[in-house]
Amino acid sequence: MLYFLTMKPTKKTNTLLILALIVGLAFHGSAIFFTLEYTYDALIHLFFADHYADSWFDPWEYRWYTGFTVQSYPPLVHQVIGILSYIGGLKFGMYTVALIAIVLFITGAYRYTLLMTGSRRIAGYGAVLAVFSSTFVETLHIFGQLPSVSALSILLHSMTEIYLWIKTGKTRYFVTSVSMLAVTVTSHHVTPLFGMVFFIAPLIGMAVMDASREKVDSYKALSFKIFWSTTLQHFWRIAKFGFTAIFLLVFCIFPYWYNSKRNPITQVAIPHGSRDNFLEVTSSGLVFFVIPWGIFLFVLPYFFYRYYSKRYVFFGLSFTLLTILGTGGSTPVPLMMLGETAFNILTLDRFTLWATIMALPIFAEFAYRMVEGDLKTLVQKKFGAVYHRVLGGLIAGGMLFMVLFTMTLGYFRPSQPAKIKMLPIVNFLGADSHDAWRYLPLGFGDQMAWLSAQTNAMTVDGNYHSARRLPELTTRAIERIENSKFRGVEGIGSLQQFLTVPEKYNLKYIFSNDKFYDPILYYCGWQRLQQLENGIMVWEKLNVAPIPQIMPKQDVPAIMKIMWGIIPLSTVLIAFFINIQMIWVRLLKSKKTEVHSFRKLELPYNKFPSKLLIFSHWWALIVLICLGYGIYLFYVKNVAQLSPNNVVESYYDALDFKEFSRAHSYLDPASDIDIAQYMLEVSVTDGILSSYAKMDSLGVEIYDVTENSAKAKVATRWITPLENIFSSDYHELVKVDNKWYIKPSKFDNDIPPDQLFTANGTTFYNHGRRKITTQETYHEDVLKQPVLEILSAKLVKYKGQYSIIGELQNVDNTPADIVIKATLYNDANKELANYNAKHHIKHKLMPKETTTFKINFEGIAWSSTKDTLPPTFDPDQFTPVSFEEQPTKFNIQSAGNTANTDLYKHVALQDLTYSDQGFNGVLFNSGVQEVTIPQLIISYYDDNNELLWVDHKFVAEGVRIQRKQFFNYKPLELDSLEIISSSLKNCFVNGLPNQAIADKIFPNRKLIHGRQQTQPFKGKGFDYLKFEINSYIGNPK
Amino acid sequence: MRSVAVIICSLIFICCSSKKEESQKLKRIPNASLVSKKTNYIAGDSIAMIFESDTIVEGIKLQLKNAFGNLLLNTEIIDANQLIYKIPKNYSRLAGPCRWRLILHGKTLKKGTINIATNAPKATHIESYFGPRSVTAGYNDYSMLTVAPTDIFDNPLDDGAEVTVKYQFQENISELTITTQSFFAFYNVRSTTKSGRILVSAACNGTNSKELATIVYPSNATNFTISASSAHNYADGNQILTLKSDIIKDEFGNMVSNGTLVTFIIKNQNDSYLYTIGTTLSGIVEARTLHPDEASEWEVQAFVTGAAESNTIAFSFEAAIKDYPVNFSQGNRNIDIGPFESFMKQLVPDGILLKLDIYDADGNFIETKKTTTKNGYCNIFLGAHFLPEGDYILKFKAAGISKEFTKNIHGN
Repeated sequence: MLYFLTMKPTKKTNTLLILALIVGLAFHGSAIFFTLEYTYDALIHLFFADHYADSWFDPWEYRWYTGFTVQSYPPLVHQVIGILSYIGGLKFGMYTVALIAIVLFITGAYRYTLLMTGSRRIAGYGAVLAVFSSTFVETLHIFGQLPSVSALSILLHSMTEIYLWIKTGKTRYFVTSVSMLAVTVTSHHVTPLFGMVFFIAPLIGMAVMDASREKVDSYKALSFKIFWSTTLQHFWRIAKFGFTAIFLLVFCIFPYWYNSKRNPITQVAIPHGSRDNFLEVTSSGLVFFVIPWGIFLFVLPYFFYRYYSKRYVFFGLSFTLLTILGTGGSTPVPLMMLGETAFNILTLDRFTLWATIMALPIFAEFAYRMVEGDLKTLVQKKFGAVYHRVLGGLIAGGMLFMVLFTMTLGYFRPSQPAKIKMLPIVNFLGADSHDAWRYLPLGFGDQMAWLSAQTNAMTVDGNYHSARRLPELTTRAIERIENSKFRGVEGIGSLQQFLTVPEKYNLKYIFSNDKFYDPILYYCGWQRLQQLENGIMVWEKLNVAPIPQIMPKQDVPAIMKIMWGIIPLSTVLIAFFINIQMIWVRLLKSKKTEVHSFRKLELPYNKFPSKLLIFSHWWALIVLICLGYGIYLFYVKNVAQLSPNNVVESYYDALDFKEFSRAHSYLDPASDIDIAQYMLEVSVTDGILSSYAKMDSLGVEIYDVTENSAKAKVATRWITPLENIFSSDYHELVKVDNKWYIKPSKFDNDIPPDQLFTANGTTFYNHGRRKITTQETYHEDVLKQPVLEILSAKLVKYKGQYSIIGELQNVDNTPADIVIKATLYNDANKELANYNAKHHIKHKLMPKETTTFKINFEGIAWSSTKDTLPPTFDPDQFTPVSFEEQPTKFNIQSAGNTANTDLYKHVALQDLTYSDQGFNGVLFNSGVQEVTIPQLIISYYDDNNELLWVDHKFVAEGVRIQRKQFFNYKPLELDSLEIISSSLKNCFVNGLPNQAIADKIFPNRKLIHGRQQTQPFKGKGFDYLKFEINSYIGNPK
Repeated sequence: MRSVAVIICSLIFICCSSKKEESQKLKRIPNASLVSKKTNYIAGDSIAMIFESDTIVEGIKLQLKNAFGNLLLNTEIIDANQLIYKIPKNYSRLAGPCRWRLILHGKTLKKGTINIATNAPKATHIESYFGPRSVTAGYNDYSMLTVAPTDIFDNPLDDGAEVTVKYQFQENISELTITTQSFFAFYNVRSTTKSGRILVSAACNGTNSKELATIVYPSNATNFTISASSAHNYADGNQILTLKSDIIKDEFGNMVSNGTLVTFIIKNQNDSYLYTIGTTLSGIVEARTLHPDEASEWEVQAFVTGAAESNTIAFSFEAAIKDYPVNFSQGNRNIDIGPFESFMKQLVPDGILLKLDIYDADGNFIETKKTTTKNGYCNIFLGAHFLPEGDYILKFKAAGISKEFTKNIHGN
């Protein structure tokens, strides 16, 4: 864009603008290579671009959410990246577009400032300040909102043209303004939509105001009457422009509106930080308020002062509105203004973005007056030259600090996991027909989009939440399953549904980049396949059918595809030719171009109001006090050893983040535990709490406080992928030298008997395909499915919830992986629900091993919007299916597949005693693998040894090799349990009837064995119980 | 917009009109007769059909229909009233009836059938399947060998083709001849009573199939005996008790398959059902558990659930720790417990659990403290911050031995 050369060929080039462009390109242009790929959005746009590069006209994209339409997002930026990708790949396209956006933004800011102030000098300031505006830095380098930035920049460019059209009525300007608006529409729909209200409406107001001003001698003389009559004079221009703009908004992206109408967004709103109360959630306040406003916060009074002058009054209103809307949930005003629905759909940070962009010209004006104008004179006169320099330095320094702070935010507080090498995953998916199934990345962050862009394989997940289609996703406020651990109950709940019933979506492979999810994968019956060379663990699930050849697709009329494929780029070409052509005409004719009328409105800037200066100082002081108070609060809360409460919180915080040397520093120095010993003791404890848990809440109760000692009861709630764990610990605290310390707890001194011991065992290996072939696996390479026998199955109702319980045995000679699915029917044989066994089963069975199982029928949570979302994380929160009719019958389909991993069975029950607190048991690990999470499956029986109920308990700490672990289990009260149906009639194994298998394989089953292996115990509603152990091994050796 | 509509409409009209083909009015239907009288062929023969017609009319076509599908052939040569049609390879190679019709503008002039027979003598291919891949030893399980012999063009041989089946188990190789029926032959290879691997192969017309195998797995386990061993029989809570079986066999004397799970149920003196698990290796299962830390009587029985159980053995543990001294010092705040001496007066291995329940003088429970031994001793310090001066009842429990003291705790 050559505006700066051509605006006034007769005048000398604007050096400040050139400077801004050089610095901007050098600074942002080099920084994007280190930031853009770590932003929230950039890679999503890359994925869309890949879609267009692959199939330009077909809007259906199969790779995410079992298929969605890309007509759900304006295509221009994606299509441009897609086209450029033919030159140098997708990333080349993305960076090129980003560079273009940077240039467009800087020049746009220049033209906008020029329009607003009429001064080329101030416009130059505007361009330079645009480069360093923290809001732009944040939008580009942290959020990566390329379409938004591009659309906004072009909108800024179009403003001059719109102004001139309203003012002069020359068709030339109408064409240019409309052509640019079309580009804006096709790159981002929300920008022109709200831009009309917040930018263009006040702009038109200002144009009319300027026209009115020309009729009178001064602003003072400008009355409403004159303004009104001028408005009427300009009415047709305004109307013509307005209608054309609306037409463009509808026409250019008509397929988008068509799609919105056809697939209305019915999903539950996703919480967004911009709707938080910034005073409560300070991190959101930082990201969505402090950073975008930055140094502007101190100059707010000046903005309002200037924007409420007569010429800018419409901008003033708009600016006020934007500022208020941008405060999110901090004040009730945005909610009241937008209404419940709009408030929950819109992300409110965009209002702050627009407010700060809108303030840019006024800030440029302020800077100009501060550096070389009347403000400088005033300050120097009032406070002296040194103060002026210091103040200027502070403002410039503050601005630089905000830029650096924003830029490095992603570095010091990474919002994304470390960069993952995708090639091994891409190769894995491409090899051996692995892409015939769906996959799911876990812990990839927004990089999952980059993976998707590189492979043809499909995932159930996706990263464009407006297009989510699966009910498991749309009914919950989660954007991705991939990062479900950050989304609390809904996240883990959704994930668990996908993991438990993966065959519903042909989901077979999981790429795990976060070991947090490992236990839930294991307990849902997944197994580790291999670790790729980039460290990603591949998990697979057996017994999942591949994706069918024919997949559902939502087609659109051909005209929509053609419009979508052709219009966006055409708008760019048309806009380019029209605007460039005008520039050339002007250049070549080299006639003296007229000076635009708004240039005459440049203010003389000769008297900065002294009162405003004073007020601004007071304002700045208030802002500083607020900031200081915030920092002070932060400090007091975080000084570790100031009070008993602080030291306990700090100690647990250190443990949570595994900063053991910090934790050690809070221990009583008198206790003589040196750091090496402490680290040793800590490092040997493994288990769900120490390896897979994140502390959710911490309640400290201090009692028995004396001058120098106290006791603390600490109630912690830990989030684990499996369930919440509540634990209470007691600590003794002492005060030494005005610092509080924790007395260390005693560690178990138990030592195992043997230094070296041997263990023999059978291991299994399955070749998969023995013959290397691209064909289907050869018949003789397909293993027989291990035969299972269902020993009992019952439909029971307990506490209002229906469950299928039962027991099954692997009656084959090879280890089996068990998948079991139950379906409920009513008396009329109508199917009511079906679900798979989740973690109330041992999924891997050795030959002749038995397991009890329980299948809960889980519904899709919060499918009715009346249900209120629970406020905090609760992974084991369960949503039972709501049955309209009474289930009376059931059908069980079980399938065995040869298993060769996770077959560790060497955990013994070494002791068991009963007390008022329940069963106290001792587990003993007699083998050679360290058990990270032991799970107890507890089954209850009546006096005929008939199964009644199945329960489970995860033991919080692991069992180390040749060592003990204590557990406590409180038996349930089953007197309210109701057995609805008990039958093996409709039970099937590998598709065959269970009875036939029982008759053939186990004709003489010794039924007494069941009773001989159960613990007699007279409980409420039961007479026997049995403890089974299922061990998860975190690091198999 | 209007002009576009006009153009589109006219285009549609043009298209419609061009479709309207003038129906040729046939003046006379030609008389055709088949010259080539041969109706039986062998797959792979080159087949040409020759017709003679009194008038030669353009557009006489030969329609072929066989299992492969339908085909329309154009006349190849028109020579002195002769119409010659060459049957393409994919039709002449497919065994079975091939129906033909000579047609002109949808009217059938002549029709008939030629029969193509399987090309048995040339060469034979064998497609064979054997499954399931594993069976259970005994009398009622079997794997089925299915053989589909075909000629070189993949036509199945006629029913009654002889297939020789050979199968090998250990030293025995058996051979028999079966015949195809409905294009394939099958044979059920019965399971043996010995476990092992059965290899089978099939041959037909001198062509041999590949080797196929099924594995005979042992049948269900039968009752077995177990024994227990340990370094000593003192309840020190530290040594490992090893439980071991003899070779577990099925009813035919085969060792049960490796990895069979055996549960050792341990019933102790309190009627608690403890257990430990092992998996077999060469028929023998070994499982381990830890000695209890107090005198115990254990009864152990092992199960292969549903199939077999072992004898019950008893194992009694004598108390290793007979007694332990408790020493109070520093105003009874410092408590040293120990030395814990084991059966030879040696210090016990680290890790014996000691529990101290503290009650006030009125018997109200205050607190429990737990610790484990290290180098034979435990130490508990009841700091002044946490236990003010006064009388307390202190109840110790370790290694199944309880001790109770009433002490005045004072000083710092």
